[in-house]
Amino acid sequence: MEPTLNTNLASQDAPSDRGDLVTTTAEGAKGPISLEALMAGDEKAFEQLVIQESPRLFRVIVRIVGDDDEAASILQETFLQAFQRINSFRRESKLTTWLYAIGINLARASLRKSRRLSSLEDQEVERMQPDFNRGMFVETPAVWDPARVTELADRRQLVRRGIEQLPEDYKTVLILRDIEEYSTEEVANMLGISSGAVRVRLHRARGALRKLLDPHMRRLPKD
Amino acid sequence: MKFITALKTALGMAPGCEQVNEFLAEYVEGTLDEKMRAQFQEHMVMCKCCDHYLDQYRQTIQMTKETDEISVPSELAEHTLAFLRKSNAFASDQDAASS
Repeated sequence: MEPTLNTNLASQDAPSDRGDLVTTTAEGAKGPISLEALMAGDEKAFEQLVIQESPRLFRVIVRIVGDDDEAASILQETFLQAFQRINSFRRESKLTTWLYAIGINLARASLRKSRRLSSLEDQEVERMQPDFNRGMFVETPAVWDPARVTELADRRQLVRRGIEQLPEDYKTVLILRDIEEYSTEEVANMLGISSGAVRVRLHRARGALRKLLDPHMRRLPKD
Repeated sequence: MKFITALKTALGMAPGCEQVNEFLAEYVEGTLDEKMRAQFQEHMVMCKCCDHYLDQYRQTIQMTKETDEISVPSELAEHTLAFLRKSNAFASDQDAASS
């Protein structure tokens, strides 16, 4: 069975969905991959899924494991597992959410196995949150001056190093929510945790990253 | 912080810095209900600490969004498909190999 090409202009920019997997043909036209074809083990439909989802899933995995070759290998294993286990997809989430959950789990397992662990512990993330006394800030946070790090490349490097230092649970949530811009519910489904847990981890990850960036971003005192 | 706001906070009539911080993500995303949002805005106007922290928090999110682009190898999908065929994942490849 060939994946059905959808020539309806209104649906061309629709995001991937459990019933609306949009792909691009060689001619540049976009159309949905039939979920029924995927569930039936149709190889052409699965090839389209690989072509469509590889770039974004690769980026997510690279950000987690920090190594291009390892990420490419994990990506291959992800699609192999997805193809073999497609019948275990229960349609309770988007198919892409289910696929990304497989990839993220493999990436996290690889990170633990390789011991390329982050430099910060969970408890340190807690300590990097602001201090309050009787519900009020203990110290006034400094004013940040973006002009201190004017070069975009330098700023990106600072942020990348900061993210790399975060414990894996926090880093993954930050990557999925703030960089890849998945919704809280999608991230919760991908990681198998509650939406509340995603919100808490995201807030703490941002707070810890803020603390790491703080010394570089503070406005310098005038002479 | 101005006296009235401090007093309201002390009396539990308005959120303090800690409560504002706890719901900062929702505040930034605009998902707080109207009443709570109004209380937070009132607090932000009066509280230099929260105003500075909110600015840092927003800049952190923005800089995270602007972090390095990951370059995707052009042959990535092709290599993945080749791997799937080599792994005999596709039945038709197994058929072709056996014939």
